[in-house]
Amino acid sequence: MARINVWVFYLLPKLGQFLFVILATYTLTFVLIHFLPGDPLVAALASKSGDSAVLDPAVLDAQRVKYGLDGSLWEQYFGHLLALFRGDLGISISTGVSVTDMIARALPHSAQIASLALVIGVIGAVIITFLAFAAPWPWLRNLLMQIPPFGVAIPAFLSGILLITIFSFGLDWLPSSGVRSPGSQILPAITLALPVGAIFFQVFSSAVFDAMSSSYVFTAEAKGVPPRSIFIKHLLRNALLPSVTILGLLIGYLAGGTAVVETVFSRDGIGRMTVNAVLARDINVIQGVVLVVGATYAIVNLLVDIAYGVIDPRTRPAAAKPSRKAQEVGA
Amino acid sequence: MNAIKKRSTPWWVTSVSVIASVGLLTSCASGGDAEGKTDVVFAVKDDPVCLDPQQVTITTALNIGRQVVDSLLDQDAETGELVPWLAETWKTNDDLTSFTFTLRDDVTFSDDTKLTADVVKANFDALNALGADASLASQYLAGYESTEVVDDSTVTVNFSQPNAQFLQGSSTITLGLVGEATTKLSAEDRCQTVVGSGPFTVDSYVPNDSAVLAKREGYDWASKLRNHTGEALVETITFAITPENSVRTGGLQSGEFDIIQDLPAADEERFGTDDYTIYARANPGVPTSLIPNTERPIVADEAVRKAILQGTDRTEINDLTGSSLVEPASSALSSATPGYVSQADKMKYNEDAAAKTLEDAGWTLGSDGIREKDGQKLSVSVTAFYGQDVLEAAQIQLKKIGVDLKLNIVTAGDFFGVVASKDYDFLSASLTRTDPDVLRVLFSPESSAAWGIVDDAALESMLQEQARTADETARNAIIADIQSSLIEHAYLVPLLEVAQVHASTANVKGLEFDSSSRLVMYDVAVDAK
Repeated sequence: MARINVWVFYLLPKLGQFLFVILATYTLTFVLIHFLPGDPLVAALASKSGDSAVLDPAVLDAQRVKYGLDGSLWEQYFGHLLALFRGDLGISISTGVSVTDMIARALPHSAQIASLALVIGVIGAVIITFLAFAAPWPWLRNLLMQIPPFGVAIPAFLSGILLITIFSFGLDWLPSSGVRSPGSQILPAITLALPVGAIFFQVFSSAVFDAMSSSYVFTAEAKGVPPRSIFIKHLLRNALLPSVTILGLLIGYLAGGTAVVETVFSRDGIGRMTVNAVLARDINVIQGVVLVVGATYAIVNLLVDIAYGVIDPRTRPAAAKPSRKAQEVGA
Repeated sequence: MNAIKKRSTPWWVTSVSVIASVGLLTSCASGGDAEGKTDVVFAVKDDPVCLDPQQVTITTALNIGRQVVDSLLDQDAETGELVPWLAETWKTNDDLTSFTFTLRDDVTFSDDTKLTADVVKANFDALNALGADASLASQYLAGYESTEVVDDSTVTVNFSQPNAQFLQGSSTITLGLVGEATTKLSAEDRCQTVVGSGPFTVDSYVPNDSAVLAKREGYDWASKLRNHTGEALVETITFAITPENSVRTGGLQSGEFDIIQDLPAADEERFGTDDYTIYARANPGVPTSLIPNTERPIVADEAVRKAILQGTDRTEINDLTGSSLVEPASSALSSATPGYVSQADKMKYNEDAAAKTLEDAGWTLGSDGIREKDGQKLSVSVTAFYGQDVLEAAQIQLKKIGVDLKLNIVTAGDFFGVVASKDYDFLSASLTRTDPDVLRVLFSPESSAAWGIVDDAALESMLQEQARTADETARNAIIADIQSSLIEHAYLVPLLEVAQVHASTANVKGLEFDSSSRLVMYDVAVDAK
């Protein structure tokens, strides 16, 4: 019972923090969007109607009511906030479709390539780190260590086009675009995995190599434990904590960072939807997407915080230790 | 930990092989084609957003909609002649306020309902009620009063004022007819499903990914402008939404796509071989132009406007920013518009003449290369939301005659904000319409979309007169005078004809433009390679 209490006290502030992040995201987006010059309704209608846009004030007023853009800023702020708690993100001005529906449609496509990219990136980073660790010659180790930074240095639109040129147009192995054919998520995921894997590699490999110079690895080597066992048993576990931290950040990055990849590969997804919404000044969609991405980010960080407690006993709630010790002493 | 020791294959070998085999599996899935294809893949540039052809203005959406709905009339893209389609005959009254159509009696919509006079009435009434949601249609229906059902197959559309463009409008996709059930839906719901009488039906639409059309069984009412009768020749058309230019061109080359929309000018040479076909046609309407606000002091000076007209080199602008397959702009109307008369003689590029015009009007060259008069610099701004390259080319050319053209590139929304507040020297944009009445829409102070601010009673009376004139020869004569007057007074400085340029592999046959430069795919067939 005491342990549950401790966890509740550990988590409650973090839950509060989570709600605060959502509210702050909503407020900040609201302020930014509403203080941009120009009328968002006119902008969205113009992008829909092109050169035939007609702006009749009476019509515009009716449209404002329809899209929840009427009334004072305060009324809009609290009106949208209340709707938000009901799960209603409003109606897209340029498509007339509910924003919740649009996000529900696009999110799985983005989540698919983002999670695949994360898996490919992490596996790639771990493999290269292991190869560098096991490399018998220093020059080979240095060479391997130089590969991942390329992943960050090459812009996604370039690596994406290169992959399409080779694997779609050249070898005809995978589709170049869309979400319609099987395997269409592989090339975009690899494109996204390059920067993600490279960033993960920086943190993971330095944690591994820091641990390498520690006394327990020295001892293990002296006992003749094979490198693979040292890597898996000792180094991986030690590198876990910084890796989980960076994973949290990377998932946040992936949640919003799919825009370029989705445009190059002509995929439906959150990133492309955001680009279109920004171009059309569709503020209801922008606000909805920012909120969903912000919530994803906050949830991931909440999970990372919980994972800390599980992985590393030292970061567990301070109160837990004395109480448990007291029980042990009592017993 | 023991579990890891027992494994015979290292874990990473397993994962790599899994990834590799997934790659191999999917490569088998995308197979090639040896015989004539019945599924055409058309890579389009942008998402249609809405499928209801009566509401949309995006080219992609119009290209999709054209296959799904038919119109009352059809218009020959070459001659501009109107021919029967869903209406067998039609007549108009003398002052162009009343239009009577007699419908074919064998036409059904894809929900198996019949085309009747009531459906036509429901279409126009619903369109009129849509108002701003169907912005382009509302311009074709300006002054709409009512639709009368005379009998089951005869219908009369009435207007409160002469509407010269309606007949032509009735041949466009914008006034294409949808089934009665569709007319009862809200604007948003109509976007998702559209029931038409066309040779194809919407099979699926995934936003930002693709729209798939399927052949309509039993279709047999194509207009006589088409090359065959009966059902369409291919089973399905997949519109793959592919915004990235290099992916569209690469996919055409690799055979992933059969047709691509918007071939970039830089790639025209690459696809100019026998293996490909390039389709190019100027949009009807007004070319991309400088549209003046003559209430502004400098712009009000006719000499300045004339010098700008003489000092812009349309041939060079076309070479730099346009398609090699389309001629430079040569009138206030594009060459694809009915009633177009070339004004090329009055629009010849002449740097010296332009400089002289300005000199005579008292604009003297300043030390910085910009002319000035009474301490005022010859500096004007142009507001636009696309076509920056076109304006940059004009800017460089005008600099040579001492005119400082400042570019004000804004978002679409800000552009219309500027239009509404009349806060501009020049606007730059093009207007795509199938009828020369577009000039009245652009210039008449009474039009709801009057972008050009010009105070010229003679011009205004001609603009109104052509809208009232039913006789085509007489009307074309007025339209020729209007074009001449617009260029004479430099009320419009045409820069570039907007063009549709598409490409396909050579085995694609039968792809054609309609009179508004949208694609008709009814005759499309793909031969075996």
